[in-house]
Amino acid sequence: MFPADFGYSRARDLDEALDLLAAAQAGDEEAKLLAGGQSLLPMMKLRLATPQALIDIAGLTELTGVAVGDGTTIGALTTYRTLARDPLVTGRLPAMSDALAVLADPQVRARGTIGGAVAHGDPASDLPAVLLALDAQVRITARSGSRVTPLDDFLRGVFATDLAEDEIVTAITLPPGAAIGSAYEKFEQPASHLPLAGVCAAVTVENEVITSAKVAVTGVAGRPFRARHSERALVFAPAAHDSLTVAAASVAEGVRPLSDQHASGPFRLHLAEVLTRRALTRALARARRPL
Amino acid sequence: MQLPDRFSDIGVLRTKLQSIPAHEKQHGTPPATGGNWDWMTGSRDVTVEATVNGTPHTAEVPARTLLVHFLRDRLRLTGTHVGCDTTQCGACTVAMDGVAVKSCTVLAAQASGHEITTIEGLSGRGEGDGGGSGDDLHPIQRAFQQEHGLQCGYCTPGMVMAIRQLLADNPDPTEAEVRHGLNGNICRCTGYQNIVAAALAAAAHLREA
Repeated sequence: MFPADFGYSRARDLDEALDLLAAAQAGDEEAKLLAGGQSLLPMMKLRLATPQALIDIAGLTELTGVAVGDGTTIGALTTYRTLARDPLVTGRLPAMSDALAVLADPQVRARGTIGGAVAHGDPASDLPAVLLALDAQVRITARSGSRVTPLDDFLRGVFATDLAEDEIVTAITLPPGAAIGSAYEKFEQPASHLPLAGVCAAVTVENEVITSAKVAVTGVAGRPFRARHSERALVFAPAAHDSLTVAAASVAEGVRPLSDQHASGPFRLHLAEVLTRRALTRALARARRPL
Repeated sequence: MQLPDRFSDIGVLRTKLQSIPAHEKQHGTPPATGGNWDWMTGSRDVTVEATVNGTPHTAEVPARTLLVHFLRDRLRLTGTHVGCDTTQCGACTVAMDGVAVKSCTVLAAQASGHEITTIEGLSGRGEGDGGGSGDDLHPIQRAFQQEHGLQCGYCTPGMVMAIRQLLADNPDPTEAEVRHGLNGNICRCTGYQNIVAAALAAAAHLREA
């Protein structure tokens, strides 16, 4: 199966990528940035996406790598495989390591990128749940300048994000602090490995009281979302099994679930509750006894 | 209003698929046209310069050519198979700059400037055990033979390439690690048991070597 015809160009640096985007726009062509292509190319083969111009940015080494300073900065073109093997991830972001171990398969992880996962806006993508729970921000560059926006505002809906046609996601940043008490749990569709539901929890504990809690869910609704009801139920609750059970019960409060041939809406909601309990239990254990 | 969901809007998908010309939907090798891809009318070309199994190649191909078709139809390296064509089965696994990838989900254009190793590149080219002789096999291929790791053999080239990556990353895997590490490859015959046995046997052999 072949994608529909398109023009291919390869950018050597960010500047050239922005030029190519501008040229496509000037020529009234729908342009798509091609990083790993592990989501885009399958959609193009099914004609679910038919861009006229593909701009290959995979070679932009300035957009790769993990750096720790005031928080963590991850270049948009860092592959899942690279992330999974980076000690700055394995030692400090256990929920991300959890997700990277169960995300797609090894061959896809060798090509897929974190920026692609964010920019694609897939409602059933693993990493956005982890990034949402860790309060990630998205760094975006255009000819007109750069901006930073919270991932929670960036994600809009099914394959819809707040990325304009002339913009490129350049990095994901995570604030400094509490990521050690975090975990990701998923229930996957066995052929695609996409989560029918995936939950990331991040907690901090002092004297057996939960002092902060973040819960994010993917695969269940039109976009990954933060479970604010659960979070409110957890803060200042005793760090005990009952608190987690009560909080998990409200994980999808007010959420209209996806429903398809792989899983019904009620089944997805059930999975979300079970996985929230499991993710919170592991996150709590890690918060008490860091890796 | 029900939210549109991922790929479940079968009506939309069916309409989209009906709009694809029949000859473009075919899996595997396109009609033999003597290396001429005229049937892909109107496609814009790109130049691909890639080193495949140590040999540099340069070719003009339509930009939408997938790496697997470039390998099979242009270079006639038909050891790399097309199975599902949807990034799930792993039959098309090759190594790109030494890392296993699914060649049905890489454009030939993306592979330009990179080094590709296919199943044909494993035996007789330094990684084999027979010094280039007729029976020269890579230790993983040898293990598949000895452990009866294949029945129809369709998934085997992809399995071998995926196991090569798995053992490069983790030379001493547990059985569970082998099973998890092969979750990008599907076999419809064996039930995986002997594939896992072959991977573990190859791991032991390579550790001793």
